Parts: sequence; C-alpha cells; structure tokens
Amino acid sequence: MTTTLATEDASATPLVQLRNISKTFGGIKVLKNVDFDVRRGEVHALLGENGAGKSTLIKILSGFHHPDEGGELTVNGAPVAFSAPRDARNAGIATVYQELLLFPDMTVAENIFIGHAPRTGMALDWNEMRRRARALLDDLDSPDLDVDARVGGLSVANRQRVEIAKALSQDARLLIMDEPTASLADADVRRLLDVVRRLRARGVAIIYISHRMPEIFALADRVTVLRDGALIGTRPIGEVDDAALVSMMVGRSIDQLFPKVTVPIGAPVLELRNVSFKDEVQDISLVLRAGEILGIAGLVGSGRTELALTIFGITPATSGEILLNGEPVTIRSPRQARDIGIAYVPEDRGLQGLVKAQTIRENVSMALLSRISRASIVNRALESSMARDAIARFGIRARGPEQRAGQLSGGNQQKVVLAKWVATNPKVLIMDEPTRGIDVGAKSEIHALMCKLAGEGLAVIMISSELPEVLGMSDRILVMNGGRMVKTFDRSEATPDVVGAAMTHAGAAHGRAEQAGSAP
Amino acid sequence: MTLRSFLRHEAVLGFLLIVVLFLLAQQSDKFFTTANILNQGRLMAEVGLIALPMTFVIITGGIDLSVGSILGLCAILLGVFWHNLGLPLPVAMVLAIVVGGIAGLINGLIITRFKVPPLIATLATLALYRGLAEGISQARSVRGYPDWFFVLGQGEVLGVPTQLWILVIFAIIAAAILGLTTFGRATYAVGANETAARFSGINVDRTKLLIYTGAGLISGLAAVIFVSRVSTTRSDMGTGVELDVITAVVLGGTSIFGGRGTIIGTVVGLILVQALKNGLALSGVKGDGTIVVIGLVLILAILATNLFSRNGDG
Amino acid sequence: MSLDIAAPRRSASTGVFARTIGTYGQEFIILAAIVALFIVVGFIAPRFVSQTNLTSIFSGNAYIAVAAIGMSMVIISGHIDVSVGSLIGVLATIAGTLAVNGYPIWIAWCAPIVVGMVITSLIGALVAYVRIPSIVVTLGMLSILKGGLISLTGGAWITNLPPDFLIAQFRLFGVPSPVWFMLGLTIVAAMFMRYTAFGRSIYAIGGNPEAARVAGIRVERSTVAIFAIHGFFAGIAAILFATQLQVIQSTVPAGLELTVITASVVGGVSILGGTGTVVGSTLAAILFAAIGSSLIFLNVSAYWLRSVQGLLILATVLADMARRRGVK
Repeated sequence: MTTTLATEDASATPLVQLRNISKTFGGIKVLKNVDFDVRRGEVHALLGENGAGKSTLIKILSGFHHPDEGGELTVNGAPVAFSAPRDARNAGIATVYQELLLFPDMTVAENIFIGHAPRTGMALDWNEMRRRARALLDDLDSPDLDVDARVGGLSVANRQRVEIAKALSQDARLLIMDEPTASLADADVRRLLDVVRRLRARGVAIIYISHRMPEIFALADRVTVLRDGALIGTRPIGEVDDAALVSMMVGRSIDQLFPKVTVPIGAPVLELRNVSFKDEVQDISLVLRAGEILGIAGLVGSGRTELALTIFGITPATSGEILLNGEPVTIRSPRQARDIGIAYVPEDRGLQGLVKAQTIRENVSMALLSRISRASIVNRALESSMARDAIARFGIRARGPEQRAGQLSGGNQQKVVLAKWVATNPKVLIMDEPTRGIDVGAKSEIHALMCKLAGEGLAVIMISSELPEVLGMSDRILVMNGGRMVKTFDRSEATPDVVGAAMTHAGAAHGRAEQAGSAP
Repeated sequence: MTLRSFLRHEAVLGFLLIVVLFLLAQQSDKFFTTANILNQGRLMAEVGLIALPMTFVIITGGIDLSVGSILGLCAILLGVFWHNLGLPLPVAMVLAIVVGGIAGLINGLIITRFKVPPLIATLATLALYRGLAEGISQARSVRGYPDWFFVLGQGEVLGVPTQLWILVIFAIIAAAILGLTTFGRATYAVGANETAARFSGINVDRTKLLIYTGAGLISGLAAVIFVSRVSTTRSDMGTGVELDVITAVVLGGTSIFGGRGTIIGTVVGLILVQALKNGLALSGVKGDGTIVVIGLVLILAILATNLFSRNGDG
Repeated sequence: MSLDIAAPRRSASTGVFARTIGTYGQEFIILAAIVALFIVVGFIAPRFVSQTNLTSIFSGNAYIAVAAIGMSMVIISGHIDVSVGSLIGVLATIAGTLAVNGYPIWIAWCAPIVVGMVITSLIGALVAYVRIPSIVVTLGMLSILKGGLISLTGGAWITNLPPDFLIAQFRLFGVPSPVWFMLGLTIVAAMFMRYTAFGRSIYAIGGNPEAARVAGIRVERSTVAIFAIHGFFAGIAAILFATQLQVIQSTVPAGLELTVITASVVGGVSILGGTGTVVGSTLAAILFAAIGSSLIFLNVSAYWLRSVQGLLILATVLADMARRRGVK
C-alpha cells in the first residue's frame, strides 16, 4: 500500500477541507455539521447507507448545492464559495457521476474536451484535440479506446474512462468518484482500481464512494463514514476492519429497528424454475411461500431488480418456467402479471410507481380500474371510498383522497404505491427498495405494514441495498451477483458478515470459479 | 390536477369568453343574432369535431399535425369513390371515413412501434397524406352531389344546423369517455407518467393506437361534413386546420406536456376562437387577418399557463 | 458475468477515410442518390441535364438550401421551426416593398436579415426562457406571420422592382449568384459548426442539455443565439427568393416550411437533436429539387411531389430510429 504518501502529507494543509457543513432541504437537515478533508495523493473512501448524506456532500463539493450558513469550504487553505458546477471545476474539483454526463453522438475526443477544446486562433484544433485525448487515454492505460469512436456505442466501463479523462483534461486536483464500480464487470473493476492508483501516485486526491468493502480496503488511505447526515468518524484504513466499518455505518442493533413478526409460513405460491432474461438474469430457481418474506440482497447491477422486472413481465423471461399456485403461467406484460396476482412496488417511486400530478384517489385505483368499473364506466363513489380506506389503513398522512400525490412526503408516497398494489389483492408482492429515501419513522411504518401483509398470507419478495433491512425483515435471504443466485441463508444463519461477504467476495469468487470451470 | 385547479382554469376561460363576446357584441349588432350564432356553429363543426380526439392526443403528451391532411385526403377519396368508381354515395362516405381511420392508425403505428416522436411522425404524414390527396385528385374537383347529401352540411334539424347536432353529440360522448371511463383514466395516466402507467398494468401502446386512430376517423367524418357544406371536393381542403384545432385545445387548458385537460375546456376554447374570428370579420378584418389573432392567442395562452403554473407548483 | 475487455482489442485509431465516412455517411448516400438520379433521368430524358434545367434546379432552389442551413442548426439543438415558410414570405415582401419605394438597395437587402433575426430571437427567447415548446411557439408564429402578411398586402404582387435589387439574377463566372450563395454559406456554416466552440455547443445542447449545462455551456443564451442565426439564414433565403423573378408574390409559398424541414431531416439531421450537418441538408435540398424536376421529365404529375416528400421524411426518420436502436 502506498500509505506513505498520505502520512507524509498529513501535516500539510489539506487540498480541500469542509468545516461544519450542513445542508437543509425543505426543513429536513440532510447533512449535520460535517467536517471532512482530502489530502493530495490520497484516496479517501466515503461510506454510508443510502440516504446517509454522501451524495449531498459531493454535490456541495462539486458546486451543485450551496451549504447552509455557518459552514466553511476551503481549497488549499483559501475559503471558496461555489455558485455553479463551473466554479468547482475551475477550482480543480471534478466528479465522475454514476449517471455519466456524456454526449452519445459525439466522439470520445470531443466528449473529453467539450467546453475547453484546444484552439488555434478562433478555430478548434481537432488534430490537437485528438492527440491530447489519445495521450490522456494512454495515461489511463486505455490504448484500446478509439478517440474517434461514438460515445453512444461504448460499454459502460469505456464511457467511465472517457469521464475520467475528461476530468483529467481539466487538470483536476480532486477527483470524486461516485460508485464507479457499481455497474462494472470484474475485469473492468480491476482496471479501474489500477487507474485510481496511478492517479494517486501522480498526486491527485480522490474521494471514492463505494459499497464494496474489498475495493475500499484495496484502495483507500483513509475512510470516512456518514450516517443519517452526521459524521460518524474518519479513520486511517489500517485501524479498521470490515466489521468495524459495518457497525459504524449501521450503528444500531438490528432487532430494535425492525419489528419482525414471525408468522406461520404456508403453501408455496410462486415458483421459478431456471428463469433467465438474456444475460441479466441467469438461471434463477426459487420457491416462495405464503406468509414468507424473501429478502434479495446484492449490489446494484447484481440482477436483483432485473429479476423483479422479469417476474413482473416488464422484461419477460427468455427461458425457464414460472408457476403460480402450482400452475405454469406465462407473463408477457405487467398487465398479465397483475391479472394473475403479482404486484410490484418499483424501485424508482417518482418515475415508475407514482403519477405525481394525479390525486391519491387516481393513483390508488390505477391498477384495478377495470375491476371498479361497469361497462368501463369507473365507479367514482367506490373509488373514493377505496382511497379513503387506503389512507386509513396505511396511515397515509394527507388532506384527503383528492390531494395530489406529488405533494406528499416520500414515505407517504410509498404508502400510496403500496396501497395501489395491495388493492389489487395480489398473491405475491414484490417490493424493490421499499424504504429508499424515506425518513426513519416512515421506514418502520412500511416495515410494520410489510409484516402485517405477510401475516395476512401474502408472499413477499423484498429487494434492498440496505443490509440491516434485509437481515431484519427477511425469513430467508437470497444473495445475487452477476445475474445469478450465489447463496441463500435462513434467517437464523444470516449475519451481516456472511451476507455481506456473499454479496462482495463470494460473488467475485463465484464468478471466477465459473470461468475456471468453463475454460477447459 | 385537482378538481379545483380545473375549475379555476375553466372559470378564467369562461370569464374571458364573456368579455370577448361582450366586446364583439359592441362592435356589430349582427353578432348576437340567432342566425349568426347558428351559422358560426355550422362553421366550427369540422374544427370542433377534430378538436375532440386532439384533446385526447395532447393529453397523452402527443400531437397530431396530420389531421388537416387526413381531412383533405378523405374529402378527395369521397369524391373519387362516388364519382370515379361509381360506388353508392353512402358507401363512399363510410369508406372515406374508414380511410381516415387507417391514416390515423398508421400515425399510431409509427409512433408506438417505431418510437418516432409524434411531432415528426405526423409532420411526415402531413406531407404524405396531403401529397396523396393532390396526386389522386390532380387538382380536379368533384361536384354535383345529390341533394340529400347536403342535409349533413347545409341542412337543419329542429332549426339547428345538422353538423352542430353531430358536434354536440360527439362532444358529450368524448367528455364521457375522457371523464368517466377506464380508457379516459388510462389517457391521463399515459400523459402524466407513461412509465408508471405501464408499471400499473395499463396498455400504453394500445391506448395511443386507439387515440390516433380515433383522430383519423373523426377527421374523415369532418371531411364528409366539409364536402357536404361546400358542395365540392378539392385537395387543399383542411389546410391549416391543425392549427385551429391545436389552438382550441391548448386554449381550453389542455397541457401541451400532457396529463391535463378536459373536453369542456376544449369546447370553451373552440367557441372563443370562433367568436374571435367571427367578431373580427364582422368588424371588418379580412379573412386572413383573423388568423393573426389566433396565433397570438395560442402563444399568449401558453405563456400565461406556463407562468401561472410555475407560480402554482413552486 | 461478461468479460468484454478480454475480447480482441480494436485498432487504436481509425484512418482519415474511415473517419470521414463515419462523420458524413448520410451525406455520401445523398450525394450518390443525386448522381444516380441525374444519370438515370438524364439517360431517359436528355433535356433533364440541359443547362437551362440544371440552372433552374440549382439556382431556383438555392434559397431552400440556405434556409435549411439555419433550420438544421435549430433541429440539431433539439428544437424546430414550422413558421420558416411564412417568415420567408414576410421578409421577401419587406425587401420588395422597400426596394420599390425607393429605399437604398442595401437597406432593402439588410432589412429582411435584421427583421428575420429579431423575430427568430423572440421565438428563441420564448423557447429558452419561458420553456414553451418550439412547435407551439412557431405554430402560433406561423399564423401571425401568414395572416399579418395577407391582411396587410391583400396578396397583391409587387412589381417594377429596380433591376439593381435583383441580386439572385446576377451571375459570377457565368454561374447564377444563388448557387454561389448556397455554396459559400454552406461551407462557412459547415466550418462554423465544426471548428468553433459555439458550433460544437449546438450539438452539445441537442445531445444532452443537462450535460451541456454542467460542461459550462449557457444553454438558454445559446438557444436564443441559435434561433437568431436561423433568422439570419432565413433573411438571406428571403432575399434570394424575392429577387429570382421580376415580381414578388406577397403570399406565403405553400408548404415551404415542410420543404425546408425535409431538407434538414433527410440531410441527416436527427429529429432527436444532437447530430447532423449542414452539408447534408444542402445536398438533400438539391436532391429534393432534382426529384421535383425529374417528375416533370418522366411525365409524372407534379402533384405527387408532396407524397414523395412525406415518404422521404418518413423513411429517413424510421432509418434513424432503427439505427439508434441498433446502436443501443
């Protein structure tokens, strides 16, 4: 490890320093008096659960958000205030976002230099642009990347390299990488880690956000953990281990947060036999029983959501068999899935779950309009009473059924989506990231509702990135990686360590074992 | 999209309508006569009919620029089927309307199957359908329709122009479909959030296909009424109708971004546009001068809505 | 788990030829289509390639190509202008009226350009700052301009134009001036689009407005500027249109906006924004003019021309969508 550089620099002024930074959105404090600093030539890992405040912190650093009054941001010891992303970039701070900000129809070279292209006189110098792009990419150990290729046709890993080259082309002194390996294959991950080490050796400071522990131990010099918007601590990597980091991130006993009620498990409801969708979901077999909550754990891109979309008919299975109550069924569309009793509370509430511009009443009835209508005329009275029932039953805090869904808080929006699907009387309920981005109180309400529904005999699949949630709520846990099931655990044998290991280490090991097996 | 915000927009529009009617009545004493009002109803029937499905189209977040061309094509084909092919006129009328439906279906297929943005898809078919009308007709017009045919466009039922009855009946049906049925709900849901609609089991593509096909069918019906009203067919019939239709719909409070709008609003918008045209004509503004006002009203209406809604939603 | 990195690496850089084909693929297709059309139709009807007919194809349609340059920029930036036909009609009438009423010729030439830029800047401002979709603004503008023109002039023809004013009838080295304008402006615009930061930002705004903003491009301001440039080209197109005959028909040429948009779209400008070149739109304008002319020589009624136009747009757009889906 090249920790020497970091320790040598420890006494010098940090490159970038945040002191007492807070950020409030609509009255909710999402960052609470955080102190944070990055030194030259250091990889500083930033850890925390979803909603811990990581993205807010990096958006402050990259000039998208202004911190609240009272905090201080210094670059090279001098206080700065960024009013736009442009200002942060001029101060040498560049960010590689998860959703890459590239122009699909432009070439690699042009994407790297958009906004600051080399010129001779008034005219852009394309040859110089291409030459410098070539040099930058060679520097990133990417001689295979054609500077004249259209970016829209590149793989995710290559697009990411373009983003990194873009950051370097502007002489970035601090590079922020937001989950750069989330959607990369193994070999690409190794290449990326090499690139990060190279940059560090050249004195670039790096803030590295990732959920994958092995990467953090392989790369980071220091690690900072955030939880619920507050700083939990910054440690040199040598002083912590896996378990210590997990407990810093979670910070509370799992039982106390999750009101898991044990209910009798009934007969099998849903059965998958070797179900695949292209190479995104591969060969999944499982049995789900009434009253059971099956947790699916896995990193982003591990195939968890893809599996849900396949069961729900958005991306119909390309092979394999699905049985419902023992009968084989074909599911080619969400409509068919709904009609046979499968419900899906999707990952992206705002985009997939809710019509924000419509009322609670219209949202709750959306999936079962044909059932509350006669000769296709919607029974308005029945619809209203259904919406009122849903508000009462799910504890939705709203002015009434005619309030627009978009005006509700995240937790109440999620309850509306849940109410919409429970109203269809499903046999199987799939919940994808059921508590993402909602506050702690609403979280436990959703969890209690989930238990109650399971108690009523519903078979529940819960997908979550939050390990404590998976461990706290599930009767059984299925771990996915690379589109495959890599391991299943019973509630009794599941601990953060073994499940976390299955998500990260075991997944990679499994992937390699597969290749080794198929090589000869 | 609460009930209250609807009422607010329609109240504003209704108030505007009263003011305009009052001002125009001051300009000319011919304005508020039964004869004039019924005659205006006759004149706006074709635009009015097409505005009904266009309301659906725009609520789904789409647009259909080809309706004027479909009208022209169906008008020409009505003449061709009857005059050149010698089919009985009622059969020719039905076939012309069916062709309109097919033209609309083609729009729908291009939009749903090939994911071409509605704007450009219907811009292309605007040229294509008008081109077919011109090519088939070779600038020849068809005249000499039998007398009974003119009942539709020039006749009266119970003292009210026939086509005004048709418009009223279709408006009521359209309002009922949009406001009361599952199909209407699907229309709003598709426009407000297509992905969420699909994730809720709504058949998005089928909804759009039906709507564009409906727009084609109604344009065909409007063509038959048009021919009956003016006693002749020409290939340039309906040129620019899309502008009048879209203006009425947007003026009536339907959001060009989709998800919002009502038939009642469209009808009020329609009356407002027609009253403006008529009033200006009576005050001595020449025919084409009135479209300046329509263009202005279109831009100002959206300008006002945009500024208004931005304040409302924060 | 896919290991695409281990796959054979592609060559580190492609040749200049391949790059040119990559950038100008659609342009080569259109050029080939033009050449093929001239050969085939010229073989069937030799008078098709007579000098008179060639002049009428190139010179008589140059104003469409010029207008399509500005339209291409608008479409590349992700917008559209369906009022350009009416705008050209209005600007041509302004030029003619000034010329007939004894104003200096240079004023008659400059006024339409200035007025055109003012009107399109207004459109751009409504689109960029008030966020009204360009289709709605320009539909409204179409009827304002069209109605305004007809009600002010009553559709009267402007005659007795001073000979000095008729710039489209000038010749240089025996070639009519509109052809020079078309060539010169296409080359200048192509260089501008390729070699200036602003030119590239037009592609950036159309390709990914959010990323453009992050890359430091002032999206709103640029949008207004793009519309203003479009107005500049519409102004020049109007002068060429106004001066190619001895009279100006002060009405709006029917379907002109569609012809201009067709040239842009068929020339490879993606309707989703972000791609296309002005070389392509100029070639497409020539192609379309040649098709129109060949119909006459092939004894096909010119009344079918509009259908050909519709089919051309449709075919290009469907191919574009298919290509995009193939890449993704």
